[in-house]
Amino acid sequence: MLETLIKQNNVTILGNSSKVMFFVHGYGCDQNMWRFITPHFKDTYKIVLIDLVGCGKSDENAYDYDKYNSLEGHADDIITICDALNLEDVCMVAHSVSAMIVALAAVKRPALFKKLIMIGPSPRYINDVAYFGGFSEKDIEELLETLDSNYLGWSSAMAPVIMDNLDRPELAAELETSFCQNNPEIASHFAKVTFLADNRNDLKKLATDTLIIQSKKDAIASLEVGQFVHKNIENSKLVVLESTGHCPHMSAPNKTIEAMKNYLL
Amino acid sequence: MDYNIDYKEFYDTFPSGYFCSLPNGTIIDSNKIFLKLTNYSREEVIGKKKFTDFLSLGEKIYFENVFAPALKLSGTIEEVNFNFTKKEGTRFPVLVNSVEIKDLSGKQLYTHSIVFNIAQRKKYEQELLKSKKNANELSNKLTTVNKELRNHTKLISKQKLQLEEFNQHLENKNKQLSNFAHIASHNLRAPVSNLTILKDLYKENTDAKDKAMLFSKVEMVIDRLNETLNELIDSIKIQGNKDVVHDAVIFDTVFAKTLEILDIQILDSKAVVTSNFCEAPNIAYPKLYMESILLNLLSNSIRYRAPDRVAQIHFRTEIINNEILLIATDNGLGIDLKKYGHKLFGLNNTFHRHPDSKGVGLFMTKAQIEAVGGSITIESEVDKGTTFKIILKKKNND
Repeated sequence: MLETLIKQNNVTILGNSSKVMFFVHGYGCDQNMWRFITPHFKDTYKIVLIDLVGCGKSDENAYDYDKYNSLEGHADDIITICDALNLEDVCMVAHSVSAMIVALAAVKRPALFKKLIMIGPSPRYINDVAYFGGFSEKDIEELLETLDSNYLGWSSAMAPVIMDNLDRPELAAELETSFCQNNPEIASHFAKVTFLADNRNDLKKLATDTLIIQSKKDAIASLEVGQFVHKNIENSKLVVLESTGHCPHMSAPNKTIEAMKNYLL
Repeated sequence: MDYNIDYKEFYDTFPSGYFCSLPNGTIIDSNKIFLKLTNYSREEVIGKKKFTDFLSLGEKIYFENVFAPALKLSGTIEEVNFNFTKKEGTRFPVLVNSVEIKDLSGKQLYTHSIVFNIAQRKKYEQELLKSKKNANELSNKLTTVNKELRNHTKLISKQKLQLEEFNQHLENKNKQLSNFAHIASHNLRAPVSNLTILKDLYKENTDAKDKAMLFSKVEMVIDRLNETLNELIDSIKIQGNKDVVHDAVIFDTVFAKTLEILDIQILDSKAVVTSNFCEAPNIAYPKLYMESILLNLLSNSIRYRAPDRVAQIHFRTEIINNEILLIATDNGLGIDLKKYGHKLFGLNNTFHRHPDSKGVGLFMTKAQIEAVGGSITIESEVDKGTTFKIILKKKNND
């Protein structure tokens, strides 16, 4: 069971502390994106890293299109992993879409989680009446087209590696070093599930202490969206970083670490 | 030869667009080809535009979530396809290669990017993508059709099996019918010719006493004839009746009933009849068949007892390989299996010059046993005795 789970989500565990910090990457990448952050917490926390099923080095065969047709499926995975590893009072650190995934998990099983740290969260990317998400459905279509056109070489070259990397070690090595490469079909499905989701109502159900880390300039989850999340989560704190981009934990790791440490004091 | 390459000129004329951006995306330098591709003046771009300003919203999502993290993690990224927006708003497809430049401490200083116009290639690529999509759809369709075909094949082979079974059934029936016809004609010929003779004698005779005697003989033959006919009809009934009803049969009870029926024969013959059904006391089985099987076997054993010794007849059940067996043993006349084994269970084959032999019993017993899916075998030695072993049916089917 545990072995299957570890393979399924490519679970990595670092350190031995009793306090647990559990990292979940966002759309388009994998657990590698936390490499600038984790060294600063590994002495005080047991670090748990995962790849969402369908991303990174997770077990692609476990990608059940029905289960993962909503973010709920990934939230259930996180709960299952916490239970299997006997984790308690977990401090979740989640980027982008995973902020909503951990919010769903914490609504479902509040006792598991002590604190949530959301980086660049957005409960809904598509604009709505009296809500600015930043995108229209047409933009999401365009994203899917971009995904398609950038997987031309991938599908034929990488597919056999995923299926059987014994035959062609040179491709396996390439995959080893290629970050943020996902099976195109899954990436496209996950993109739809992510960018067409609407979790605005779930924010109000969340009772866990939450920190929202927001880049001042973020083209994906704008400051306005960050403020919306803050307003709708009762026990939340918003920190706006002097940074640009959707991944401050990569582009401004020091500022991100500082915000996290201040919050966790 | 000495070539003096003018790097400034090279920078502006080398055959692709180039720009350099800060970590926050702001473009701080570009070559002339890039400006020409995008139709902007240098003043409009340098220090003012960012990489992402040339992208659509959908592409920005890709840039922020995939391109930027991948570049950050590997320091370089190649062959990413975007559609750059020109000053007038039209867009053209490009391939971008980017590389991050860091200082000695690992701090990112800036990013070099080169931009290839791939307008021609893109058209071709879109055609390829379209063909690939079509091929995928076709392949999916084929998979579906294949699946359907496989299901059809399965259905057909199932039907074929049923037909074969039916055919087998018909063949059996045919065999039985021809057997029946053969035996019937044989069985009926003797009494009928008997009757004819009796009739002639009756006609010719004038003595009233003789006539009465002859008539009683006729009556006897008619009775026998009737009996034979009924038995033949019964045997055919059994063979036609495949879907028999299974009752809860207790061997002791049925056997007691059999003993009752054969009470007089047992008394007359002084046979010692014993039984032990402990190993399998009961079975789900057609009760009428069980009664008939026990009756036939027991009356056979009594009938063909050895005249020079006390008849000992024993019935028992056994379970072997999950099957319930009924075993009947006697110490009677026995049968020469080498001589008669092959026609032992045929209709109206009798092996004993015995006044009561009618040759229907074993044929009927076998038919009944097989109708329920069982089988019967015989072990016998002349003047030693006979053992019938009957596999009634699989125990699981109880």
